[in-house]
Amino acid sequence: MSLLPEYRDPSKKKEYAVIGKSKPKIDGPEKVTGAAKYCGDLKFPNMLYGKMLTSPYAHAKILSIDTSEAEKIPGVKAVITHKDVPSKKYGISPARWDENCLCIDKVRYVGDKVAAVACVDEETCYKALAAIKVEYEPLPAVLDYRHAGDEGMPNIHEEYPGNINTEIHQEFGDLKKAFEEAYYVRKDVFQGQRAYQSPIEAHCAISMWNGNKLTIYSTTQSTHYFQYYIAREFDLKMGDVRIIKPYIGGGFGGKLEPTGLEFNGAVLAKITGRPVKMFYDRADMFYHNRGRHQGTYELTTAVDKNGKILGVHANFILDGGAYTSLGIATAYYAGALLPLTYEFDNYKFDMYRMYTNLPACGAQRGHGAPQPKYAFESHLDNIARDLGIDPLEIRLVNARKPYTTTVNSFDIQSCELKACLERVAELSDWRKKKKEGMPKNTGIGIATGAFVSGAGYPIYRNDWPDASCMIRMNEDGTSATVYNTTVDLGQGSDTVICQMAAEAMGYRYENMRIISGDTEAGPMDFGAYSSRQTLMSGWAAKRAGEDIKRQVLNMAAAMMGLPPDDLDARDGIIFSKSHHHPTKWQPLTYEEVVSQYCKLYGPLIGKGMYKVHATGGTFKGAAVGTSPAYSFCVQAAEVKVDEETGEIEVLAFYDVHDCGQPINPMLIKGQVHGALYMGMAETYWEEVHFDPKTGVCLNPTLGGYLLPTALDMPKIIKNEIVDSYEIVAPWGVKEVGEGSTNPTMGCFRNAIVDAVGVTINSTPITYEKVWRALKDKKEGKQPAEIKMPPPPANAAVKPY
Amino acid sequence: MQNAVKGKDGITRYLVTIKVNGDEYTRIVKANTLLVNFLRDELDLTGTKRGCELGDCGSCTVLLNGKPVDSCLVLAVEADGQEVTTIEGVAGVDGLDKIQEEFIKNGGLQCGYCTPGMIMSAKALLAKNPKPTEKEVREAIAGNLCRCTGYVLIVKSILAASGQEMETYYE
Amino acid sequence: MYIPDFEYYAPDSLDEACQMLAQFGGRAKVLAGGTDILPKAKTFSPIAPPQTPLPEILVSLKNLEELKKIEYVPGKGVVIGALATHNDLVNSELLNKKYMSISEAAHQMANNQVRNRGTVGGNLINAVPSADLPPILIALNASIKLVSVDGERVLPLEELFLDVCVTCCTEKEILTEVVIPDQKMTGSNYIKFGARRSGALAIAGVAVAVEVENNVIKDARIVAGAVAPTPIRTKKAEDFLKGKEVTAELLEEAGVIASGECKPITDIRGSAEYRTNLVRVLTKRALRKAIDQGHV
Repeated sequence: MSLLPEYRDPSKKKEYAVIGKSKPKIDGPEKVTGAAKYCGDLKFPNMLYGKMLTSPYAHAKILSIDTSEAEKIPGVKAVITHKDVPSKKYGISPARWDENCLCIDKVRYVGDKVAAVACVDEETCYKALAAIKVEYEPLPAVLDYRHAGDEGMPNIHEEYPGNINTEIHQEFGDLKKAFEEAYYVRKDVFQGQRAYQSPIEAHCAISMWNGNKLTIYSTTQSTHYFQYYIAREFDLKMGDVRIIKPYIGGGFGGKLEPTGLEFNGAVLAKITGRPVKMFYDRADMFYHNRGRHQGTYELTTAVDKNGKILGVHANFILDGGAYTSLGIATAYYAGALLPLTYEFDNYKFDMYRMYTNLPACGAQRGHGAPQPKYAFESHLDNIARDLGIDPLEIRLVNARKPYTTTVNSFDIQSCELKACLERVAELSDWRKKKKEGMPKNTGIGIATGAFVSGAGYPIYRNDWPDASCMIRMNEDGTSATVYNTTVDLGQGSDTVICQMAAEAMGYRYENMRIISGDTEAGPMDFGAYSSRQTLMSGWAAKRAGEDIKRQVLNMAAAMMGLPPDDLDARDGIIFSKSHHHPTKWQPLTYEEVVSQYCKLYGPLIGKGMYKVHATGGTFKGAAVGTSPAYSFCVQAAEVKVDEETGEIEVLAFYDVHDCGQPINPMLIKGQVHGALYMGMAETYWEEVHFDPKTGVCLNPTLGGYLLPTALDMPKIIKNEIVDSYEIVAPWGVKEVGEGSTNPTMGCFRNAIVDAVGVTINSTPITYEKVWRALKDKKEGKQPAEIKMPPPPANAAVKPY
Repeated sequence: MQNAVKGKDGITRYLVTIKVNGDEYTRIVKANTLLVNFLRDELDLTGTKRGCELGDCGSCTVLLNGKPVDSCLVLAVEADGQEVTTIEGVAGVDGLDKIQEEFIKNGGLQCGYCTPGMIMSAKALLAKNPKPTEKEVREAIAGNLCRCTGYVLIVKSILAASGQEMETYYE
Repeated sequence: MYIPDFEYYAPDSLDEACQMLAQFGGRAKVLAGGTDILPKAKTFSPIAPPQTPLPEILVSLKNLEELKKIEYVPGKGVVIGALATHNDLVNSELLNKKYMSISEAAHQMANNQVRNRGTVGGNLINAVPSADLPPILIALNASIKLVSVDGERVLPLEELFLDVCVTCCTEKEILTEVVIPDQKMTGSNYIKFGARRSGALAIAGVAVAVEVENNVIKDARIVAGAVAPTPIRTKKAEDFLKGKEVTAELLEEAGVIASGECKPITDIRGSAEYRTNLVRVLTKRALRKAIDQGHV
């Protein structure tokens, strides 16, 4: 091996060898050849198939369940009801556990779990389910969240009178004074729809027992939370529960919580003594749901004459569906994240999350933030228009600065929001377009967003590290394997973690391997949610990599006769930083050093962990929205509106993100494109429809629930990142995947207003709504106003 | 139909021979067996994914006599005597297909669940039209829903496989 | 997802197929591309039952090669075999030359995979109100042939449709061909309006065919889809146009008249009022395009 003096060149010192480069995805070859196994692709000897029977009624008492006919069908191996499963209530968040593995006394939405079967094949499952006779006594159902809290409405959960799931009243500063002293105060009400994550892969869980040990292969975003909750439900030790996540076909928040497939599958596997594969079909997915909450959002904002925000009152009501899911967090997030992008000192946040007899809502990409942000960005544009201020300028006036604290006690570290605004303005030629105008029926809109880089606190309170990681060198040094329990849902965390580990080790990405998502193989990590893995799991990987490097350099020091401090490693080569000689102190390879190490000492293992420092305020709910670091982004969209049909063509889209230092620019592009896709879909198309009388889902198919196709995406998409470095993060990283959904709906809505002068205050902004608004405008009619529903009758506090 | 036999359960089963990725497979199936399940369950070719099961998402796209079809909308008995190519038949012994390489190189996949179907659609397009326009690429994959990528890098990958740059792509 | 068991036959000739249908009576249904009847027969979770369960028997037409052709028969017109797939229409050189508007309409259907399987016959017989082929075929005055053991009958395509998913094709009959007669029409086209650019059902669709000479409309046929239980001809609008000189106002007025003739429903894809508006706009635009492009 010859000397490679460029390693010692001080001018090259900041050049990273592995990170900051668009390395190909580590799982690419398996995924493009069809070799990648997803949960539904797995088979085990003697495996049975299992399925759940769900309720056809939105709200009904279960009078009796007769499984005898189903049991007689050849190939049916087990039929279970609530009598066969633990009655302990579960949920993903201990803030409220209110769900049963199988319903005991009543069902609370069309799709609620009633019974389950295990059979020799899928077909028999469907036959068996059809043969189970359930006698129901239908009850009046609560299907409109806006009236769920009205006097006299039926109660969905006995324990929670008045159908209030979450009630929040937070106040910071002196809002009354701000309103009194304001130059201008405006109130607007907006409405959002129910959306669904709709991953292309359906949920699936394969459960099997070995004595008292339970193993579940599952489509999960968090192996740890599944391990914890499944152990809890069955009173098992965590060490007796093994969760394995095969490849996952997308999650977007929809696979974060147990579904019942795991619990009921485990019971069926126990009863039959065979592995049981429980699966959802497409309709089941829509009924299980846990998608985006729909809500009504009233915003009142006080500004001075320059548009500087003095105070904000956010008054929201959400449709939570029949169970809590992650919804208490959603409810807090909805208000907590609003003060991130703009600085103001007075803030009041009131929220009711209502129970209804519809599928439960949960965490969908951007958790709780996208609809309120759409409302706020639309509201801010209205204020700007009233005051004659350019929408870009009002955002610049209010934009968050780095190293500040929000009114609700979030410590903001790095923040390049102003740079993002300026760059989007340049990319989109904003100022020129505003000055010179745009062609008829075309318009441009802008909006900002911000998001956490991982939640400051775990979902259930515990003291474990947020992330941990182990790296083992192959004995001959030709490869290194990362072991952790991160979850790559497709976003590319396996790739990014390996890049970070390799950089820290001074090793090569191409020789990295990763075994993630097996609680028995890797140390604890909370998984994929709240955009946490690049920062949190990245820290653990970096530290594990440094631990390997330390040991390798020590070994190499002995081999080279130099002090360890004088050595460094890069691209798998260990070299002296100071000694340069044609024959002495020759650089060594990782292969040479690791081989020597393993021969002398056995396995070469590095480990690392990360724990979030204490963060946030002390008021009730202060934990939700805390994070080590926040990302920021700005988007602008140009649209063209067909006046006669309301059809919207997106001409161009711009996104500039402050996501800290990039690890893999290509994956960042992919995240932004994907977030735009989802945000655009929720702006125009996607909505889960329910029959207002029965609660039956009207479009539980991908032909009825419209995801955009390749032909629907904008022609021009320009996205960039700004220079940014976050000191609390490994190599300065921050999140990108979820934050990008936050500005999208708002910037599209604002572009439509700019194009044709109609304000549409509810999503989705369907072509029909645009057409109707234009028609009303032409006929001189006022647009239909969205009204804020009254507070629930049973509310502890009624702020308005 | 000649190759049919009624089982003890009164249900008729059919002998079908389907050439998959160059090899002929003969199996006995029920009439209600869909091609996607035939491939996955009988032949263990699980690269072909089940998505919406209604012909809306294209995850189960295979080539039937060279043309992309949703294998969830084709009965196995209908494919009797026909030729099917699945994702497992795309790469050669000496390496990946150019399309597969470009998907990896350009980040044309994230979760990978739509990827096999997407590649089959791309394969059929480039076989018929080696230098497609961006619009033609988008048309060809409009029956393949991807929830992760927003399609940008997929379109770029397919154009790259045809030796073309994506003109609208912003670096 | 599950489809209950059924029996399957794939006869080798049309005669044999007709005999089977006669023998099985109402217990059998014809299987062509399957892109409509198979998804509709699927049971998802028990709370998402099949829209239309399959009968006991499916008689597949897959071996009837003669029904897959698209050809010109002098004196008769362009004959489209019922088993021609939508992509066969898209790619047919004959249609591209003679009736581009049919190829274009076929191209707007579903998505590429479905267009490779779905057939003309299936699209017509399933009689979904939002189907994309019937409007343009009716606008071009297509006729169809229904064959059974009792013989065959030829009728105008527009007479096939009786109600939502109901046709006059009896359980013994097989639709074998669609014939587009030689035209005097000088221009035609179909505009579909869906929420999405691919794979979306039409919220409304309008096909027109016009005969224009010296800027005067001599003849016009206007057919709207997805705005009534069946595709409908808006005959008042057709009559209104005849003999008049083409002006923007004329086409606008024709749109208004046509929109008054449809009877749309409100569903999650669009309200009746919106659909009515779409018929107005699409009629106007389709007429303009048919007149300007100068080919059928």
